Amino acid sequence: MTKLKTSFQNLSCLSIGKLLIASALLLSAQVSANSAPSAQDQEAQERPPALIDPNVERREIDESDIDTENFEIGVFGGFISIEDFESDAVVGATIAYHVNENFFLEAAYAQTTAGQTSFEKLSGGAPFLTDEERDYRYYNLSLGYNINGESFFTDTLVFNSDFYFTVGAGSTEFGGDERFTVSVGAGYRLLFTDFWALRIDVRDHVFNSDIIGVEKDVHNLAFTLSTTFFF
Amino acid sequence: MKLHFNFVVLLVLTWASCFSFSAKADELVVTIVEPYIDFRTGPASEYPIFHVAEQGEAITILKKRTGWYKARTEKGEEGWVSAEQLGKTTKPSGEVLYVPTGTFEDYGNRNFEFSVFGGVLESVTSLSVGTSWKWTDNLIAEATFAQALGNFSENILWSARLQHHTFPEWKLSPYLTIGAGQIRTRPRSNLVQSGDEVRKSDMYEVGAGLRYYFARNVVVKLEYRNIVALTDRDDQERLEEIKLGFAVFF
Repeated sequence: MTKLKTSFQNLSCLSIGKLLIASALLLSAQVSANSAPSAQDQEAQERPPALIDPNVERREIDESDIDTENFEIGVFGGFISIEDFESDAVVGATIAYHVNENFFLEAAYAQTTAGQTSFEKLSGGAPFLTDEERDYRYYNLSLGYNINGESFFTDTLVFNSDFYFTVGAGSTEFGGDERFTVSVGAGYRLLFTDFWALRIDVRDHVFNSDIIGVEKDVHNLAFTLSTTFFF
Repeated sequence: MKLHFNFVVLLVLTWASCFSFSAKADELVVTIVEPYIDFRTGPASEYPIFHVAEQGEAITILKKRTGWYKARTEKGEEGWVSAEQLGKTTKPSGEVLYVPTGTFEDYGNRNFEFSVFGGVLESVTSLSVGTSWKWTDNLIAEATFAQALGNFSENILWSARLQHHTFPEWKLSPYLTIGAGQIRTRPRSNLVQSGDEVRKSDMYEVGAGLRYYFARNVVVKLEYRNIVALTDRDDQERLEEIKLGFAVFF
């Protein structure tokens, strides 16, 4: 809008200026034809009306105007293998804050629906869980460490990338309960541009469960692909 | 319908022109004072230097990621410059560019803080997050949310608190907290015969903590709090929590 306005103003300024010059020339020609030019008229000729005001107000640009891109937001999809309950598609979202070039903090939330245990399938008996209890949701807060690098696909096709490790904790809601969950993982981030990346993650979610009767630590491995944006 | 479409096109064009104009106007051009500045291929010290801009050259700052700035030379070369090197350039006004390099001074000028804790609430692992706002040098307002998942129950606690920092200018600084909130307890599903039995009760808390300015914009925190839950039963419930965590400030 501002640009349009300014260009319009410039345009009108220019045409007005041209008109002014033209009329001034015409007037002076008439004046010179009628009588000898006075000193005042000469001065006026030498100093045409100012077309552009030289005292342009400069917008103060300072450090706070620099675009900062420390946050990374993304969505992911993939598979999670839920111990005793088959593998299922999982979808989720992440938001990360990059503290420095190596460390980042990340919050993730995801959900899926667990399948049936082998026992349920083979025996054909009563299911362990209701449909609602099969909803599997988890969140975690992780600390990540980037190992920065570059990926050379060909001699000329090079992207910045990093390999990272994450350690975190959170909670898993499954089987009618919420369980404290520890998650550890590793991933690869390929930056197509400064602000757009593709990520591949492998993360293990460990929690203590007694859903199938005996209490044990269960390991739920998730393989996900995500696209993220820095802002 | 066509009018509508035209209107949309016009709107998009106006917006686009506005955007490109403002993007150009917001670019900050600085002049190199030191003998040279390194341009790297990525925003980290591990990335190789591919270009060197010399003293007196003007460079345009495009964006910032952690302690790295993307800059463009007059010839159009784009790369990442460290905050340390950029902090020795001058603005068109002649002033030295202020670049926050994560000094203790920046810590004193912080406004917001986001923290994450891991801890133990009455022998149950707890996880909590908090955001705080620096009201004065000594007083900080904070909102916290915690989840403690035990073998018998799941607890969710939230509170609004006020922190008092007696010595805010110290790197290792003690503080006191006072707050009020609510605690929600749900017994494990295998302990309840039918349905969920969620108990909600108001709570008050007092606590003390220790914070240490670690580096850049990271603070390490150790905190203790004593919670009084005002239950429906005859007795009030007392809970203790100790937690360790870190915070990033902006």
